[in-house]
Amino acid sequence: MNWKHFLLPALLSVITLPSAAYAELRIFACEPEWAALAREVGGDKVNAFSATHVGQDPHYIRARPSLVSQIRRADLLFCSGAGLEAGWLPILMQRGAKSGIQPGKLGHLIAVNHVAVLEIPAVLDRRLGDIHAEGNPHVHMDPRNILILARELTNRLTMLDEENAAHYRKRLENFETSWSRALKGWEVRAKKLSGMAVIVHHKSWVYLVSWLGLQQMATLEPKPGMPPTPSHLTALLKVSRGQSVKAIMRTPYDPANGSEWLATKTDIPAIVLPYTVARDAGPGALAQMFERTLSLLETARAKR
Amino acid sequence: MMTRLICSVAALAVPLLLGNAPAKAANDSETQAILTEIRALKQSYESQITKLEKKFSELEKSTARSTAKSAIPATSGRGVRDNSFNPSIGVILNAKATTFSLDASEIAGFGIGEEGERGKEGLSLGETELNFSANVDDKFYGSGTVAIVQEDGEDKIELEEAYIQTLPDAPLPEGVRIKAGRAFWTLGYLNDHHAHSDDFTDRPLPYRAFLNKAFNDDGVQVTYILPTDTFAELGGGVFRGDDFPSGSSSSGLGAWSAFARVGGDFGDNHSWRLGGYTLQSDVNSRTSNEDTVTFAGQSDLYATDLRYTWAPTGNPRQRELILQAEYFYRDEDGTYADSSAGTGNVAFDDGSSGWYAQSIFKFSPAWRAGLRYTQLDAADAPAGLVGSALDSSGHNPYAMSIMGDWTNSEFGRIRLQFSREELAEGRKDNQTYLQYVMSIGAHGAHPF
Repeated sequence: MNWKHFLLPALLSVITLPSAAYAELRIFACEPEWAALAREVGGDKVNAFSATHVGQDPHYIRARPSLVSQIRRADLLFCSGAGLEAGWLPILMQRGAKSGIQPGKLGHLIAVNHVAVLEIPAVLDRRLGDIHAEGNPHVHMDPRNILILARELTNRLTMLDEENAAHYRKRLENFETSWSRALKGWEVRAKKLSGMAVIVHHKSWVYLVSWLGLQQMATLEPKPGMPPTPSHLTALLKVSRGQSVKAIMRTPYDPANGSEWLATKTDIPAIVLPYTVARDAGPGALAQMFERTLSLLETARAKR
Repeated sequence: MMTRLICSVAALAVPLLLGNAPAKAANDSETQAILTEIRALKQSYESQITKLEKKFSELEKSTARSTAKSAIPATSGRGVRDNSFNPSIGVILNAKATTFSLDASEIAGFGIGEEGERGKEGLSLGETELNFSANVDDKFYGSGTVAIVQEDGEDKIELEEAYIQTLPDAPLPEGVRIKAGRAFWTLGYLNDHHAHSDDFTDRPLPYRAFLNKAFNDDGVQVTYILPTDTFAELGGGVFRGDDFPSGSSSSGLGAWSAFARVGGDFGDNHSWRLGGYTLQSDVNSRTSNEDTVTFAGQSDLYATDLRYTWAPTGNPRQRELILQAEYFYRDEDGTYADSSAGTGNVAFDDGSSGWYAQSIFKFSPAWRAGLRYTQLDAADAPAGLVGSALDSSGHNPYAMSIMGDWTNSEFGRIRLQFSREELAEGRKDNQTYLQYVMSIGAHGAHPF
């Protein structure tokens, strides 16, 4: 056996090819909302990539080759956490990610670690569906959490990229001012929505429900992660008859059939809330998302 | 504190129990000796517990300190549930009910290993896999998988995988990973996937003929992912040379591999990956066909694979089309012998090939259907091997399969498959499989 035959490939695989110099900090966001927030704070000093788009359910993503090559070069990871990405992120992290974005590092930013988490289960059993041991991960639907994470992200960015620290701080300041102003307006509108009864497709809306003081009467999924079944929908028909439910809410990626069926049977409007922003959304998109969410809810409430 | 109490109670209870029947027969000095031993044991336990308690409280303090340092705001006043100190444990349960129209099945023209043969008819348990995995520390990850299989009426334990792998914190150049031990090495598409994640009940013909189902020799493999927009990966490994297509390594370094893979996306919802691989084996002695066929010499395998996925809405959980194909070419230069045909050692220098193509369509979250065609192209038997197991008589073995499966959750699947194989001239075998594959416990995500 000729040693030279395998020395060549072995050598080839060890040599680090000179990577092209990138002026900007590369951010790998698991969801579009975090990529948008990164662009708010980072401006032109960051290159934010979102692993998922608005039509994708972040629970179920394939660890595709393109995601490996993106995470391979990322300087900061920004994800929701609490098991939302458990089906695909660990394998990407193990395969390609740099040391600087591994758990415990400055470049590893997980949203649920920085805000108050709701729905931490007392019992863990897969019979109860696809439940998240660390609580509900959809934290970005409470605009107050967005502010907390903007600050934490700025902390990380100023430490990772000291040269542009002033730039990040300045942008955060502007964002904080405009966001706080918008938040005041939203909270006034929220008072009118308080107590509104809703049915949701998946438990994606807990934070919105809790922020606005809505009443979540039921979920279309019999158990988290399990598609709506005819028998469960029939049972919901009874639930919604007795109550004055104003809306059936779903995300753009939830399948429509369950909520549309219930809507035609009950005359309760089925509404698709934005839930997140476009994959390449620029500044202002997050605020627009909340604006649109509120106005959709207001319209639904006025209808019945 | 509780453990200490239990230990003390146990330490006291043991001499009491021992003090009964056996002590009566034994003389005093023996009893005394046992008591002294127990006392010593108790003391050593207690001192160890004290040490542990001290360590634990130190650890608590240091954790508190490090949390304070890590600048995580106090808004989250909760403990993070974490089982990083325990290995993840997962069990794969699978079994099938099978019917065959032929009593026996041989792949003409090839030396087939035990795992490459047709499975059992009737009711049978498949491989029950037990997996333990965890990060060893900040630089290494470790994983072990044992399969419990029934062979010749006996339950046997097979060590499928036992490897360590470097983590990104290991002092290696960025993008470089080293895996060492025993593993399903990178070779084609299916080889580095566990059989439980396969889309069909049985592996396609090239895997059965060229790899005895899968190549998991002892060895070490290096992988490098290039820092490019398009996914690109290079790698290679060296192996002991004991596992099929090698066998009975004399040097302990009988095989090496090299591979390159590229991949990417078209738009938001289409993904692809293309790979080229080689496995070069210096075969000391490889036995197959129930130890009747022996090969010695150089066996070089070249493979290419293509996988393409399309999720119409971006959500592979709802609907998805997967196209997958692999082609293998094997070049062998050495000697073959078939003891049942009494050929003696016959010089052999020729190539054979095999391929498969399959398509899987998930039309609703729970239901999928699939089609597969697979074929082998045997080498022409040299004069000395005519009439032996290695003589295909010009027939190219092929198999066609159609399957449908129902996936209740990510953790459980039930599959029905029909296959028609003609692995030797005129020997058509109609097969039916009804199979379940379920997993309990931790179950890592599957790679693309």
